[in-house]
Amino acid sequence: MQSAIARSTSGKTVTDPTPHPTSPPAALVIGLGNPLLGDDGVGWRVAEQVRQQAAQATLPVEVDCLAVGGLSLMERMVGYRRAIVIDAITTGQQPVGSVSCFSLEDLPDLTAGHLASAHDASLQTALQAGRALGAVLPEQVLIVAVEAQQVYDFSDELTPPVAAAMPRAVQAVLAALDHLTEA
Amino acid sequence: MQRISIDPITRLEGHGKIEIFLDAEGNVANTYFQIPELRGFERFCVGRPIEEMPLLTNRICGVCPEAHHMAAAKAADAVYHVDPPSVAKKLRELLYMAFFFTDHTTHFYALGGPDFVMGPDAPVAERNILGVIHKVGLEIGGQVIQARKYGHTVVEMIGGRKVHPCTAIPGGITKGITEEQRQEIENMGRWAVAFAEFSLKLFNDIVLGNKAYVDLIVGDTYYHRTYYIGLVDENNRVNFYDGKVSVVAPDGERIGKYAPGEYTDWIAEHVEPWTYLKFPYLKKVGWKGFVDGKDSGVYCATPLSRLNAADGMATPRAQEEYERFYDTLIQAEEEVYTSTGPTRVVHHRLATHWARLIELLYAAERWVELATDPEITSPNVHTVPKEKPTEGVGIVEAPRGTLTHHYWTDERGIVTKVNLIVGTTNNYAPISMSIKKAAQSLIKKGTVVTEGLLNMVEMAFRAYDPCFGCATHSLPGQMPLEVTIRDAEGNPVDVLRQFC
Repeated sequence: MQSAIARSTSGKTVTDPTPHPTSPPAALVIGLGNPLLGDDGVGWRVAEQVRQQAAQATLPVEVDCLAVGGLSLMERMVGYRRAIVIDAITTGQQPVGSVSCFSLEDLPDLTAGHLASAHDASLQTALQAGRALGAVLPEQVLIVAVEAQQVYDFSDELTPPVAAAMPRAVQAVLAALDHLTEA
Repeated sequence: MQRISIDPITRLEGHGKIEIFLDAEGNVANTYFQIPELRGFERFCVGRPIEEMPLLTNRICGVCPEAHHMAAAKAADAVYHVDPPSVAKKLRELLYMAFFFTDHTTHFYALGGPDFVMGPDAPVAERNILGVIHKVGLEIGGQVIQARKYGHTVVEMIGGRKVHPCTAIPGGITKGITEEQRQEIENMGRWAVAFAEFSLKLFNDIVLGNKAYVDLIVGDTYYHRTYYIGLVDENNRVNFYDGKVSVVAPDGERIGKYAPGEYTDWIAEHVEPWTYLKFPYLKKVGWKGFVDGKDSGVYCATPLSRLNAADGMATPRAQEEYERFYDTLIQAEEEVYTSTGPTRVVHHRLATHWARLIELLYAAERWVELATDPEITSPNVHTVPKEKPTEGVGIVEAPRGTLTHHYWTDERGIVTKVNLIVGTTNNYAPISMSIKKAAQSLIKKGTVVTEGLLNMVEMAFRAYDPCFGCATHSLPGQMPLEVTIRDAEGNPVDVLRQFC
């Protein structure tokens, strides 16, 4: 991605310092949210359990925990064909602790935590921009969302109904991984 | 009375809501900008070791964790009464320049820039980074991604992690950089300078070369005469990492400078019944309401404010652009107002976008300066704190405004009290004023409220790059912009909804 601008002004090549995964695992699982904001940390916790179970089952998957959105989230997905994002969600239309699975394209009717950021772009727009620039990005992004209760209070603990939903969320991610692997 | 509701604000971190109340004639009577509050941060921090604060605070939000990390580290230095070695300060500042470069780049190309590159009344689906890429070309889009990549790389090299650095500690930093890393950082910095210069040229060509946009910038809709604050060095030049906070009046008079520990002598907070957030104002001037002028304590802390509060930039190319900025805009300014103070000030809020790009260039130049500093690879990066911890304040300039962290501890260094004034909170009053003025200017009796018109109201606060992610939670993701027009009884008569 060395640019004409940089070449013409610096007179020398600037090496791209960021390593690209040469043969990344088939899928990327991202736990999204703020681990200090109560139920908003559920994505991280579910991702950690998925990491453990995936390692035991030697699933071809990489797991990460992030608190970013938009362009940064898109940049993390570069090189992967499939991605699953785990996040808190606050629709107010389903019981706290409900686990939902849907495609990113279904998102406009819902409100998921960190999939859009004011300071760059929504994930959908960022993915389109990345693809337009030639980046290899997931053809499909699956969302596993847990209906949250408290996301405005600083706490490193989940509310009981959200904590109780974790096993179901973990199973939902693992089932989605099975589906993605088969696909 | 009719009510127009913009809920939530598009492309903003945090769930905000604008209420526009119309009078019986159909003109704008008043506006309210409301943001939900994050609760319990102080309670969360109390009882923890002070050393944890740079790590805790950088988790407040995902937009500017580097700023919280630095302000917290500086406050922790002050708590321990320890002065870090000069190379530690330089490494912190080097990381910070890369962060500023990344953040300002993102704002121009993805958030604020699309209003100008695509046009304020362009379809909302095009008024984003994807539209910008299609308009200016794929190669430029690649440059934006490259700029972000380089910024993140430097943050990771010095800060130990991308986005959420973890190496600044009381007394300095946990690790230095090697000569090989220094060379890589220098090379990326030189690329960054070229990119910043290109970005200014792009702004010059697309925005300043378009009379309609210039008229929009220098018009009355987005004009406010307030006080301005910003960190400056000993020569009163803009500084993001260290120095004193300069306070400049609407007429350009510098009424003083305060050190971090003196902020409570200068800043007070006003409470309104319709919002949880408080409105900071200048204590020495006093709160006179949401009004302009030298008698009103309302102040602003933005890229434009930093330029107004300073006498210049500390790097050569940025200084040239600073001169061009004031030479260009003061001419327009003098048509409505003549500065009588020693410092030149520009009050046109949309000029903030231009000021941000000048800061982008400064950050890149300073990045190279620090990367080529003879001692930057010195291993002397930490001074062991030996004093008894007590209380301390740390101030840095976050991209969105002056960021103040104030901690109190017991003699063991356990936090007993916390106070933060985050970048955007400084601007809560002027943002509210800008929304009202734009709404009153644009929405008149009989006006058909279109998407483009509402976007022009949003532009009033988007210039501030407001982020309430640290004052509030970034709860919504892809959210609708909903405009509800209600009759005098409060019944909705029309609803506009869009996604972006």
